[in-house]
Amino acid sequence: MWGLRLSGVLWLSLLAVVLLVLPLVVTSRFAIDIFIRILLFAFIGVAWNLMGGYAKQLSLGHAAYFGLGAYTSTILQIKFGISPWIGMIAGGVVAMLASLPIGALCFRLRGPYFAIATIATAQVLMLLFLKFRDFAWGAEGTTIPNLGSSPLMMQFEAKAPYYYIVLGMLVLGLAITYRIERSWMGFYLVAIGEDEDAAEAVGVNAPQVKRNIYMISAFLTALAGTFYVQYIYFIDPNTAFNFSISVEAALVSIVGGIGTLWGPVIGTVLLETTSALLQSWLGSGLGGVQLTVYSLILITVILWRPTGLLGVFTDAYNWIVRAPPAGKAALDG
Amino acid sequence: MLETVAQAVINGLLIGGIYALVSIGVTLIFGVVKIVNFAQGEFVMIGMYISFFLATYYGIDPLISLAVSMPALFLVGVLLQHFLIRRVLGLGDMPQIFLTFALSLLLMNLALMLFTANYRTVHTWYSDEAFHLGALYVPLAKLVAFILAMALSGILWVFLHTTDLGKAMRAAAQNPEVAMLMGINPNRVFAVATGVSLALAGAAGSLLMPFYPASPTAGQVFVLMAFVAVVLGTLGNIKGALVASLMMGIAESLGIQFVGADSGLIVVFAMLLLTLAFRPSGLAGGGAR
Repeated sequence: MWGLRLSGVLWLSLLAVVLLVLPLVVTSRFAIDIFIRILLFAFIGVAWNLMGGYAKQLSLGHAAYFGLGAYTSTILQIKFGISPWIGMIAGGVVAMLASLPIGALCFRLRGPYFAIATIATAQVLMLLFLKFRDFAWGAEGTTIPNLGSSPLMMQFEAKAPYYYIVLGMLVLGLAITYRIERSWMGFYLVAIGEDEDAAEAVGVNAPQVKRNIYMISAFLTALAGTFYVQYIYFIDPNTAFNFSISVEAALVSIVGGIGTLWGPVIGTVLLETTSALLQSWLGSGLGGVQLTVYSLILITVILWRPTGLLGVFTDAYNWIVRAPPAGKAALDG
Repeated sequence: MLETVAQAVINGLLIGGIYALVSIGVTLIFGVVKIVNFAQGEFVMIGMYISFFLATYYGIDPLISLAVSMPALFLVGVLLQHFLIRRVLGLGDMPQIFLTFALSLLLMNLALMLFTANYRTVHTWYSDEAFHLGALYVPLAKLVAFILAMALSGILWVFLHTTDLGKAMRAAAQNPEVAMLMGINPNRVFAVATGVSLALAGAAGSLLMPFYPASPTAGQVFVLMAFVAVVLGTLGNIKGALVASLMMGIAESLGIQFVGADSGLIVVFAMLLLTLAFRPSGLAGGGAR
């Protein structure tokens, strides 16, 4: 009870301190770059997981919202001189609004065909932005004007501020997930994920719940899009709507633990660390190695532990500290 | 103007024959095993590489290497069903979708590591041949591919409707429990269905080789087309998939002709989304479990 909760708080504060101090201790730009990637994809995974994990609406088109967020803030910044901080929120709102018609179409399908329809929506958006030459620079894309150090325009010369921004975003995403997990909506989502027809039969308004969670998920994903273009100072349709973003969002959640608070974080740490190690061993010359390893990890997880690796870690932790079985702990707590 | 349209329709129809082979494979696995195979395009890609290497190192014509790629991929299909797909049946959407999805990523990236991203082509004596129908131009390689694709679809139809194994497959697709009660071994039927489906993908790869470059990502377009065709043509329905594939080939070709070279896919995806918007009843029933 107290002991359990206290140790939870203790671990969290320890984690927070480590994460806050990390950029002060680690000065290698390469290492901070990897940390930023981990935090960013963990955040995208958390956003995906809200809908894909809890409600089991397995979207493979979240790049649509990443791209909309990226393009909204960039267009506002370059054409109207509006700060990306405002553009970020605007991008989120655009993504939210876009999720309404997209959801209305795609939610008519279930399971694999929902996934396919979401792929189609992201691809259509990418192709449209390739065509918008006057409005959004077409296929060539554009660089973000570099203003040096300009916090109000979300531009920094050091990497550490980016790290803290994306860390804050991840904390926000996890806090939202935590709140939703414990609300009525969380229970509705899990019910829909288990069996949508049964959930509707007991009075869950499934279309409305799915629409709402899709809006939240799209909003958060768009924030990641704005952050990413600000970080790399470049945007084109192929970067903003890249299919691999949709894939990675789903992958990190599944590998870590689908429909759990920490699953996407664990999954990202594992996959991105693997990928960074592979890169330093093999160099970036050998194409395809990273995704080969990712897909082997994914196949192993699906066949061996479809609930994700988070469960493996908690089992191991419980075994090591010899905590009482989960059932008893739940009763006490 | 009329000639441009007719030419676009011919081009689309001919490539639609290849789409049909891929779509029929997807719809066959979906109908019988109840799995959506996201890796179907990668098996097309493997069929292409088989034909490419046989043509490059042994000088075997891609149309003859059909006799290698089809049995090889049939075997791969049986093994795939036995060792991987069988283990996720009945486990819910997530493992079922992401197992074949991971397989697709794996095969694509293995191909990238082994064969590099270079485009590989096979040049046959008929690759550049064409004949003229009035002002219209019919490329020979595509015509041969189309005719053989239709012939294979016809053979599959005869197989499903006249042989015991084919009837068992249709029975298992309609009602697996009753089929089991009638003494049909589902594992055997599933293995044959996956094998046949992959053999069709392999055939599509070999038929493409005389006029289409092989690359690790070559299968992607075909599987996307197949998914749209399978949704449009009512899931699990082979004739529906065939007709929808031909229609999509034509739609894509008209899109390329009249909207722009990079717009073929926009037209196809727009067709999918519009169908979902305005005729969902016929489709949602199939998409739902």
